[in-house]
Amino acid sequence: MNGLFRRALAAVGWSGLGLTALVVVLSDFLARAQAGAIHIGPALSPPSSRFLFGTDMLGRDMLSETLHALNATVVSAVPAALLAIATGALFGFVGARFPEPARFVLRWAMGVFASIPALLLAILLIGLTARGYAVAAAGLAVSPLAFVRAFDRARESTNSAHSEYARATGIAASALLKRDLAYEVRDSLLSTAARAFAAVTIILSTVSFLGFGAVPPHRDLGLTIAAAKPVYLEAWWTAAFPALVLLLIILLARLAAGLDEGERA
Amino acid sequence: MTARRLIEIGDLRVTQPGMPLPVLDRFSLTLNAGETVVLLGDAHSGKDAVLRLLDGVPDAGEEFTARIGFNGAEAKQISRGLQPPFRVAYLPAAASQPLHPRFSAASQLTHIVARRLECPSGAAQAEFRAALTHLSGAPCFELLDCPPQRLDDISLSWALLAAASAAAPELLLCDHPFLNISPSAARMLTDALLAEQKRLGFAILYAARGPQSVMRLDARTLVLRQGRIVEENDAADLVSGQTHAYTQALFKALPQHVADKPKRSSVRGEPLLQVQGLGLNTPLRKPVRTKDALSFELRRGASLALVGEEGSGRHALMRAVLGLDRKPGRILFDAVDLSLLSQTMTARLRRRVAFITSNDDALDLRMTLWDTVDEPLRAHLQLSRDLTAGYREAALKRVGLASHDGRRTVASLSPFDRRRLMVARAIVSAPLLVVVDEPLRGLDAVAQTTMRDLLVDFRAEQQAAFLVITGDFAVAQALADDAMVFKDGRVVERGQIRALLTNPKDPATKALVEAAAIRPLSRGAAPV
Repeated sequence: MNGLFRRALAAVGWSGLGLTALVVVLSDFLARAQAGAIHIGPALSPPSSRFLFGTDMLGRDMLSETLHALNATVVSAVPAALLAIATGALFGFVGARFPEPARFVLRWAMGVFASIPALLLAILLIGLTARGYAVAAAGLAVSPLAFVRAFDRARESTNSAHSEYARATGIAASALLKRDLAYEVRDSLLSTAARAFAAVTIILSTVSFLGFGAVPPHRDLGLTIAAAKPVYLEAWWTAAFPALVLLLIILLARLAAGLDEGERA
Repeated sequence: MTARRLIEIGDLRVTQPGMPLPVLDRFSLTLNAGETVVLLGDAHSGKDAVLRLLDGVPDAGEEFTARIGFNGAEAKQISRGLQPPFRVAYLPAAASQPLHPRFSAASQLTHIVARRLECPSGAAQAEFRAALTHLSGAPCFELLDCPPQRLDDISLSWALLAAASAAAPELLLCDHPFLNISPSAARMLTDALLAEQKRLGFAILYAARGPQSVMRLDARTLVLRQGRIVEENDAADLVSGQTHAYTQALFKALPQHVADKPKRSSVRGEPLLQVQGLGLNTPLRKPVRTKDALSFELRRGASLALVGEEGSGRHALMRAVLGLDRKPGRILFDAVDLSLLSQTMTARLRRRVAFITSNDDALDLRMTLWDTVDEPLRAHLQLSRDLTAGYREAALKRVGLASHDGRRTVASLSPFDRRRLMVARAIVSAPLLVVVDEPLRGLDAVAQTTMRDLLVDFRAEQQAAFLVITGDFAVAQALADDAMVFKDGRVVERGQIRALLTNPKDPATKALVEAAAIRPLSRGAAPV
């Protein structure tokens, strides 16, 4: 894929994410009903001009519920993504400069963690802590992948001809680290953040769907989809709209990341 | 008996859409069977367009008009579909990576021969093998059966020459074929090319950037500048005197006399760099055998060239001196053994070392021009912004980059500008030692002259010690007083460069001196 096309896709992705952020900020204003408000309309009413996304079996307005769930999902995903960047990408970038054998051991251990599916790791971490730590668990589960990616990029940079040149002329390791970090932040912080955001959104929604994540009455998109399980085959709109919104924000985040190994952190 | 006229081109004009000037204008050329003609000029002189046209692969959108005649026939006006009625082969530079990196070099070259000869692959392979055996320096077919990246440039150049020769062409288009190859290897390859020409009788159209190729080929030369021929003459006449200012600038790149060079004593000052018992071929924790141990010292303000072929050990020594690789033995800089110091202390001492290399990726491509020059100042000295900017501007002015936008990234600079930027960075570092690694390699002739003059001035003004790594005695002579000649990881001869040039003792030194073609710029004069 050429650079121009990728940049155009990234622009589309970031524009979409910007719009999503605006919807999240205005969700209370845009939603006609409060989160979890029941009997707003008849139960299981299909999409209509009155209820654009229809209603669920408790008569909740699915449009309002989806907006509130989107808010809950994004509000959880942002700190989780920041945690993944701090403990994964940043640590990987610095860790690549540790002396041997610490560097080797670190890369090897993180490589092992990165080979475990992040979802399983998140479930394991939630099990070891508590349900309320799902956000931290999602961030930490994604961090090995972010670590490995940042570590390998940093190793490439430290082994490059320009790093050798700098070292040979007396530029200290700390100055080189600062220089590389500045360029890394400038060149790939946004794509790393978007990639991490997509990954933690998938994990948070999936653990909520499985019942290990969001705690009712606060429902995120995963939990909203899970709540529609008993009636989904008869009333498709109860799960399809939240799922569509989830799909859309993940797609936008991956576009913003440049569609580069989209499913990785 | 006069030779058959192979090609006659008149009033050739090549244009490209979007370009204000034609790529070639009013270009004329006659080439006889078995003759050699050199097209000499820089990267934008238009010589590449002539080769592209005759090889039948013009650039997209490129349009041409010309009067062209082949094989002595009357020249006709042609503007499309140029197809010479004889076999044409193409010899590119190995450095331009002309082969696909994934597939075997042997199979790709066989395929090229088959296409040129229009014969089955088996027959083409037999021809290619035979051509390889004709060339004494060429690797065997089996050694070429690997991706081209695993081959060094010299081996690949031999293979490309064999493939071109196997095609039994009547015209061989040589596109800077021995670019970025050491002078002795380039000389061997050129001799082999001329021997093949004698054997097979093909004509050669040879695109060259520098006058060294003109001297090696000793052929009629067309000097091109911005798409026009500015001078045409035989090599000997061109060497003895050039009419056009551009040709004069190109020929300045040739080695100069040593007589007027300021003489410096190599034993002045305190020792700056001391290498004691270094084993270039010895594993790190093993003792170095006496015959392998390398010892020398470089005093403040002195200069030493490490001369040798690729793989002779000079680069290994350079990397050890720069602290990039560890080798058994001791390296003292300013009387301090750097291997005993912490990283921070080592960095503090190394700030007085500058490094100028032909590796165009040595500078961080993401950095701006200003940042690249400022970095050593910021890293080592607590200077005010104004003072930093002052040093930077002065250095950029000295190397001729002051007019460039300082916010441009290194990636956007040409190889010549990048190399000048390295010199500017070296200037602000106020180094005690300047390590210079093949500083002229890959540059056009005019750029070579500028770069050489820049380094000579830098050395004269800065009073720094110079350690010059090169395979070219002409470069060594320009930038250093003493030399050590390397072969197979050992020093085979050392001494003053003047003495080595006039009286080389070791065969390796003799080969390097002969390859450098150091001779006065007058016809018939004996080499220096």
